[in-house]
Amino acid sequence: MQKLTGVERILKTIKHQEPDVVPHFELLHHKKVRDAILPGASYADFIDYMDIDGFLPFDKVWNWSYETVDASKNIKRDQWGGIVQFTSEDLGHPIIPAIKTMKDLDSYVPPDPDAEWRYNDLRQLIKRWKGQRAIIAHVTDAFDIAKESLLGDVAYFKAMIKNPEIVERCNEIVTNYHLRFLSNCIDLGADLVLVSGDWAMTKTPMASHEQTKRFLAPPLKKCVELAHSRGVPCLKHTDGNIWPIHDILIDYCGVDGLHPIDPMAGIDMAEAKSVFGDRCCLMGNVSCAATLSWGTTEEVRQETREVIKKGGKGGGLIVMSSNTIHSGVKPENYVAMIEAIKEYGKYPLDWSKLVPTYWTGGGK
Amino acid sequence: MVDFNKITEGVIQGDSTVTLALVRAALDSSIPAKDILEKGLIPGIKKVGDLFGAGEYFLPELLVSGEAMLDAVKILEPELAKGDIPPKGKFLIGTVQGDVHDIGKNIVVMMLKGNGWKVTDLGVDLSPEAFCSAVKEGDYDIVGLSALLTMTMPSAVQTLEALKVAGLRDKVKVVIGGAPVTKEWADEIGFDGFASDANEAVRISEALIT
Repeated sequence: MQKLTGVERILKTIKHQEPDVVPHFELLHHKKVRDAILPGASYADFIDYMDIDGFLPFDKVWNWSYETVDASKNIKRDQWGGIVQFTSEDLGHPIIPAIKTMKDLDSYVPPDPDAEWRYNDLRQLIKRWKGQRAIIAHVTDAFDIAKESLLGDVAYFKAMIKNPEIVERCNEIVTNYHLRFLSNCIDLGADLVLVSGDWAMTKTPMASHEQTKRFLAPPLKKCVELAHSRGVPCLKHTDGNIWPIHDILIDYCGVDGLHPIDPMAGIDMAEAKSVFGDRCCLMGNVSCAATLSWGTTEEVRQETREVIKKGGKGGGLIVMSSNTIHSGVKPENYVAMIEAIKEYGKYPLDWSKLVPTYWTGGGK
Repeated sequence: MVDFNKITEGVIQGDSTVTLALVRAALDSSIPAKDILEKGLIPGIKKVGDLFGAGEYFLPELLVSGEAMLDAVKILEPELAKGDIPPKGKFLIGTVQGDVHDIGKNIVVMMLKGNGWKVTDLGVDLSPEAFCSAVKEGDYDIVGLSALLTMTMPSAVQTLEALKVAGLRDKVKVVIGGAPVTKEWADEIGFDGFASDANEAVRISEALIT
């Protein structure tokens, strides 16, 4: 098969067609891992070096604004008005939400999605990679922003029962921003859209099916509709056990791809392939909680092979880690995963390599 | 005559207004605060935990019920203090270094308090030294570590080691919870207990001090 570019590879597999090889990208690669593999390189140079098929400029890092509140404690105000403290791992911990009363909400001024500076990096990435690697416009979903920056998580969940109006108004504020932001990104040349934000915990979704459909789904559905109206696929990331709400994500919202088919929540790639793999691209699910962090390179190779075996038939698979390449991932394991994708993920898939010999009756 | 079942139902329904009114009425009728807590409120929060564990309740219901429970406990506290009723146990909890995700920890705190535990919440992103210092100064039965991220699991191990080095390991039971943690891993490292959710945290804590 003719060699495809990264963007062609990703778009083809999302259409449930077999590309030349199973594609790969990640939501984030921690600098510690990148530096261990290619010391001192920029993120973009690292992507080129590893020949990764797509790049996602994570919104909180690449195009949100922050204002320092207390430099000594690394406390900042994010662009939504939430006060956030950053840790040694550079993770933001929401401390004080922006909105405490309906009065705060009435006078709330959202960030400006049209601010030119937001798109400076995207323009550079598009100039560098357009037509070669997929440029994936990213937004953190309305549910995440509303519960972390605007209302605070406890207040948000309680409001679902006690004050639904405030939840719906927060959704509207964030969604208006997202639709404008994503539209601008697509205008500039983004090839795909990805909305991230966890809707589920390890055992169950965070909210009931009814609450999920009423509060969480409408903002995502609007992002999907916008992307589709512009001819662009829309992908969704959510950790956790999504089985009880997978119909909302796939059939109601209409996402084109779902990440990470969370192995930590017991979601099996083969089961996902058989239940919804015909209408939604599966993205994942090499465990960054276990194998990539704690396993050997051989274990990573075997797990990657297993993912391809379970999810690769007929396309519709992007092999990724089960969350991000975080700081705890062993660099050599990430390299082993990429090598295994290239070894086992060539189409047409070589089932003699994918199925262990004892399954075929061969070998000693 | 006070119907404890109605107080229980108020908590289950997450109806603070009804629960508080019933608790106040019970106190006005000279019902001992201990009875209101043990026969009315605790059965309610236990049922809520069960419904959450069974996938019938979700975070919104859990938090609304927890609020009804804790609001009611606040009203009872002055009376409970007079009776010198000891808590079920003393629990120190915090999120390990590098980790800031705390809704899971906060729910555990809520459920423990609701079930009669005295809980000290140290917060998030805590160094092993911070845990050691608190254990040294306090009189805790159990220390609970929360680690939601794989990359912070080593911090949990370091905290356990630091407690050993400081000679504090035998002073307390140490339990752990968080999405990437498994019982097998917790056993292998040497934790005294593992909880996959808040309800289990209450259950194992009670078992550990019995």
